[in-house]
Amino acid sequence: MDAIIQIENVHKYFRGGIHALRGVSLEVGKGEVVVIVGPSGSGKSTLLRCINRLEQYEEGKIVVDGIPLDSAANINAVRQEVGMVFQSFNLFSHMRVIDNLTLAQRVVRKRPLEEAKAVGMDLLAKVGIPDKADAFPAQLSGGQQQRVAIARALAMNPKIMLFDEPTSALDPEMINEVLEVMLDLAREGMTMVVVSHEMGFSRAAATRVIFMDEGQIVEQGSATQIFGAPTQERTKAFLSKVLHH
Amino acid sequence: MKSNPKKRVDAAPKTIISITGNDPNMRMDAWWWLVAAVVVVTFLLVVFQPDPYQRILIYVLDGIGLTIGVTVISFILTLIAGMIGGLGRLSKNRIISGAASLYVELIRGIPLLVQLMWWYFAFPAIIRDTGKALNIGFMANYLPDGTIMAIIGLVICYAAYMSEIYRAGIQSIPKGQMEAARSLGMTYVQAMRYVILPQAIRVILPPVGNEFVALLKDSSLVSAVALADLSRRGREFASNQALPIQTWMMVALLYLILTLVSARIVGWIERKTKFER
Repeated sequence: MDAIIQIENVHKYFRGGIHALRGVSLEVGKGEVVVIVGPSGSGKSTLLRCINRLEQYEEGKIVVDGIPLDSAANINAVRQEVGMVFQSFNLFSHMRVIDNLTLAQRVVRKRPLEEAKAVGMDLLAKVGIPDKADAFPAQLSGGQQQRVAIARALAMNPKIMLFDEPTSALDPEMINEVLEVMLDLAREGMTMVVVSHEMGFSRAAATRVIFMDEGQIVEQGSATQIFGAPTQERTKAFLSKVLHH
Repeated sequence: MKSNPKKRVDAAPKTIISITGNDPNMRMDAWWWLVAAVVVVTFLLVVFQPDPYQRILIYVLDGIGLTIGVTVISFILTLIAGMIGGLGRLSKNRIISGAASLYVELIRGIPLLVQLMWWYFAFPAIIRDTGKALNIGFMANYLPDGTIMAIIGLVICYAAYMSEIYRAGIQSIPKGQMEAARSLGMTYVQAMRYVILPQAIRVILPPVGNEFVALLKDSSLVSAVALADLSRRGREFASNQALPIQTWMMVALLYLILTLVSARIVGWIERKTKFER
């Protein structure tokens, strides 16, 4: 299996001396869907944000698609190949939906406007809201905004997609519409790293589930294995708190 | 890891401040009445009391031109310098942010009038003394251009305040906007240009508009460095003709017209650029 993401012994300290990541190593293969679970403060989002270097790390090494994250130029090259979806959507609120989708295509990929628009409209159709191209983000529901955010990341034709708690800020009735889009992506063979406690998604799509606690990977395995028969005490304790719903 | 607040968000964070007041259109009407009243009073004075009001107006007319010219040029330069200062204060580079902070703190602690004196009298004297000491002819005989020195003084002073406005405006845009832009592969400059500044500018428009009006009024201080602006021309007329009451009333009315009309234009631009529905 070719590893498209290689994380080697990464340490991250926050200001105030908090040791957020304590020597995390992880390899993600091409086409894998890795779901990271763990309690709040376990370092799962931090680890995800290290992959496209939105977060600095003090020690260790990360290589994405053969490019080490060690210079400004490399970091930017990696970011162009790695899409990210945030908990709070982060759509550009002064732009219409279609302009959200075309901006990076135009200024980063240097695509002509017509081509960028065509790509954008295709993706809006794919996420099920082609009629919202001219709306502003504030006019959309949370679920619609998150689907636009996914389409915006896909418009760059990324090789990897990172999802940072993509459904945590959504009302319950909107969670499924976002998960459906993510499931479609997984079926198409997209490499995905997902921080989420949506067990249904993990069972349906995850090739691997990773349990993190206190800045370390405690346990990993298939969804059935981690959720059904965890071997570590910390995993059991955590799952007993979240599994009842 | 800092735990993310798990709050439910149905819409994107509301970052755009709303302009105070419930119904902007109503307020617009009320303020235009005031502008109209001031214009009518001035018009009546000039038409029905041409002596001295029409004479005053004709005498100070070129001063109005200079006041507007100096204000507009200084303001445009202030917008540019203030942006550089604001971005400088936000820089991660400690030397840059330190220098920007030092500039803002120093300038804000010195009265504008003193700064103008400094640029017009002290700065040229330093150049001349240096020229003499080093035997450089053109420096030893340096004479400042009043208009340029006045504009430099106004810009350097106002840019300090403006950079604080830019800084606050940029900081009011949620961090996620920059992260989203950078995660799409945009450079810092691209993210600033296409994502952060367009949003920040809408936030800072009201305070920036206030700065324009304040600058228009403070430009009267350039009369102290021998510039023939509206105030200076008024002072000349008042002392030549011994008509202090009428002259200063006319000058005050003319300033009022300028400031009230600019404030209305600023308000109009604000409404035009509002995008949050």
